[in-house]
Amino acid sequence: MIRPVRVVSRVLVAVALAMSFLVGSSTSAHATVYAQIEGTGSTWSELILQQWIADVDANGMKVVYTGGGSTKGRKDFSQDSTDFAISEIPYQGTDERGQSDSSNGREFAYLPIVAGGTAFTYQLKIGNKLVRNLRLSGETLAKIFTNKITDWSDPAIAKDNNGRKFPSLPIIPVVRSDGSGTTAQFTTWMDHQYPGTWRPYFGQSGLTSYYPKKGDRMVSQAGSDQVMNTIKGFAGNGMIGYVEYSYPINADYPVVKVENKAGYFVEPTQYNTAVALTKAKINQDKKSQLYLTQILDGVYNNADPRSYPISSYSYMILPTGADDSRMSTAKRQTLADFMYYSLCSGQTKAGAYGYSSLPLNLVQAGFQQLAKLKKADPKVNLTNRDVRSCNNPTFDGKNLNRNVLADKAPQPAACDKSGAGPCGTPTGTNKPSTDDDTTGGGGKATGGTAGGTPGGGATGAADAGGAAAGTDAPPAAVDPETGAVAAAGGTTTATSSDEIYADPTELAASRTSDDRTFGWLAVLELLALVLVPGLYVVSMRRRRPQIGPRP
Amino acid sequence: MTTLPVHDAIDVEATPRAISRKATGADKVFVAAIRTVGSVVLVITGGVGVFLGWQALPTLRHYGWSFFTESSWQPEADVLGIAAVLSGTVLVALIAMSIAFPLALITALYISEYAPAGMRSLLVSLVDLMAAVPSIIWGLWGSYLIMEHAAGLAMWLDRNLGFIPLFQVDDADPNAAVPVLSRYSFSMFVAGIAVAMMVLPMACAVMRQVFSQTPQGEKEAALALGATRWGMVRSVVLPFGRGGIIGGAMLGLGRALGETIAVLLILSPSFEVKPRVLEIGGNTVSALIAGRFGDASSSQLSALLAAGFVLFLITLVVNTVAATIVNRSRSGAGTDA
Repeated sequence: MIRPVRVVSRVLVAVALAMSFLVGSSTSAHATVYAQIEGTGSTWSELILQQWIADVDANGMKVVYTGGGSTKGRKDFSQDSTDFAISEIPYQGTDERGQSDSSNGREFAYLPIVAGGTAFTYQLKIGNKLVRNLRLSGETLAKIFTNKITDWSDPAIAKDNNGRKFPSLPIIPVVRSDGSGTTAQFTTWMDHQYPGTWRPYFGQSGLTSYYPKKGDRMVSQAGSDQVMNTIKGFAGNGMIGYVEYSYPINADYPVVKVENKAGYFVEPTQYNTAVALTKAKINQDKKSQLYLTQILDGVYNNADPRSYPISSYSYMILPTGADDSRMSTAKRQTLADFMYYSLCSGQTKAGAYGYSSLPLNLVQAGFQQLAKLKKADPKVNLTNRDVRSCNNPTFDGKNLNRNVLADKAPQPAACDKSGAGPCGTPTGTNKPSTDDDTTGGGGKATGGTAGGTPGGGATGAADAGGAAAGTDAPPAAVDPETGAVAAAGGTTTATSSDEIYADPTELAASRTSDDRTFGWLAVLELLALVLVPGLYVVSMRRRRPQIGPRP
Repeated sequence: MTTLPVHDAIDVEATPRAISRKATGADKVFVAAIRTVGSVVLVITGGVGVFLGWQALPTLRHYGWSFFTESSWQPEADVLGIAAVLSGTVLVALIAMSIAFPLALITALYISEYAPAGMRSLLVSLVDLMAAVPSIIWGLWGSYLIMEHAAGLAMWLDRNLGFIPLFQVDDADPNAAVPVLSRYSFSMFVAGIAVAMMVLPMACAVMRQVFSQTPQGEKEAALALGATRWGMVRSVVLPFGRGGIIGGAMLGLGRALGETIAVLLILSPSFEVKPRVLEIGGNTVSALIAGRFGDASSSQLSALLAAGFVLFLITLVVNTVAATIVNRSRSGAGTDA
């Protein structure tokens, strides 16, 4: 009785296979059908997203992503004009402007896509040379962006740089003019850490997506790329702005090393961001609409010397409604496969681009969110698309909550400690500044701690050979994805010899009062020059009849 | 000998044929079609006006006159007005015109009066090509190529003519060892330069056309009386083309008022009424709309459309005046002036 059933089933399978081959060859829709999906939103995570989009394009997935800011992303999604949105912050319900900020009833889920650090990039030149190793405490940063510190020669900045002084040049903060998730992340951090500075400036408490531009100095630009372009532009000297770490890396521009709770000044490399985010509180309530969203208080106060305080995750807003008018099976399939790539292989690219890969538990949770696409439409094929098939070297298969990057993260260099240094190693190179001699290849840096003399005269110690090893290390020495050292050379970085120092002296080329006085004088002289000869002639003419005989 | 055919006198009607001006047949269809097409233009323009006015109504009602006098734009604080953007719009347009007008006038004169006949068509198509360059290209040109040099010029102006409010730049010392260039960039001046390049071909085309309509006889008469070529241009061409010059300039002004993308790329948006055009910051109505449209809520959208409505009215008035002037000049009435 069993045999005939088997035979029949085999025949059926064979027929089905043959049919599928026939269909497949005729319509070339053998495996999966994709449709173009469109999204808008964050420019914070745009660089890595565009890379992923370019990667999946070869597989037939057409994804169109336009930046425009997280606020625009959320709004477009709520108006059904996009298939997905990317945003740093969740829907706010009612935003700080009292406007409604919700999805307008469209069903959605948050899906973390990548981690990263909001970096402060700047252009500051001393003797026409770019300063590449500026360090600032959080408080100084907050004061700079609230117009309390307005000059680079401010003693607070010198103090953060262990006495190293900068020229007397006005600080020009560059902020975002559009509704931005980067602004939201930055102001959340200020609101939590420096409410005494931020709240009086803002006039209320809490975060904002629209940076309140006040005073004459601030410059506002739309989009992270515009902010970056403005800072690195010809008029950028003295400017400082906030963008994701990938932008300065891309532009080869320095970033500020920000002081963390442990008193170390760190750069938002993938390691430092990963370490910081181990303390992020992720909403684990699967029932909540805010499932997987982040609470970053712990990140700001992470006492690990390797943590970068302003680190955060970026999210995709995923349409999960079964009756979503924009979505079709093909679109859901594209979205699922695009995200499968992004969450797995795509994460290996994050580090090299100035982002940080997600820890495994978040990737796993992300797949649970993706499964909602199948729930909405059973035709979506999710087979073999889960965390087990993920080919990602940063994951620890045994302990899901562990972030391998955070474990691998090197300790900061001694010269990065508050009261020591400053390190001469340039920032914005996507290489961690550390004393760790992980390979034995590069020389162990010793100059760091010795450079602690205030006034910044300690260049002598920085001539150590370690500097050359650090800065001239071949780029292949460290695998940027894994952090594993691939070859001899060394991750070692140390104080370099090309530190530049400024002695701020103000040359009073002219005082405004002088300008005015001499200006008026010049006008008077000009008038005199024009009028006096004529007046003289006239007066002579008048006098002549008096002298001559009267008619 | 020729004989004329003799008609029968009885056949000739005594009454003349009634002259009917009513079109018949194909003419009737043609007139109706043309009239429809013509009125569609009016309906569309009127529709735009009515739509904008309708959308603007809640905002105008809510803010009243303060909408025109308030300079800041803070929808979150329920304070907004178009004083700053409107003055910025006018300033940018005026800067553009003060650059474009002399250029356009001289170009038009050269093409119509001085250029060798072979070069004329080439020059005309080159100027027309300028009009074909998209405004985003002009914006990039302005912000990446021109801004740097314009900032240097602005600094020079501030240094030497800074006592004039127009050329003053606050918070910056042009004589400083390391001047703060950013105070002199992203300004209405730079935006005006980019807009000027967009306005130029349009103004130039109108002027050239009017100049080319100068009666040949009068030109030759002037030459015959011993006038030099410049004398002829001054006494015949310019008076004849006066309407065209003014009209072309005003049409250009109309375009300058509405220019968006180039301004958006160059200006760093700020909301204050200020005459200091060399200084960083400023905004125009169209750049404000383009910049804020993306993430505007419904009430903000109404405010933006109200600003657009005001711009629409201003542009309409400017263009109508321009068209009237141009039309009048074509009658040749300018010659006796």
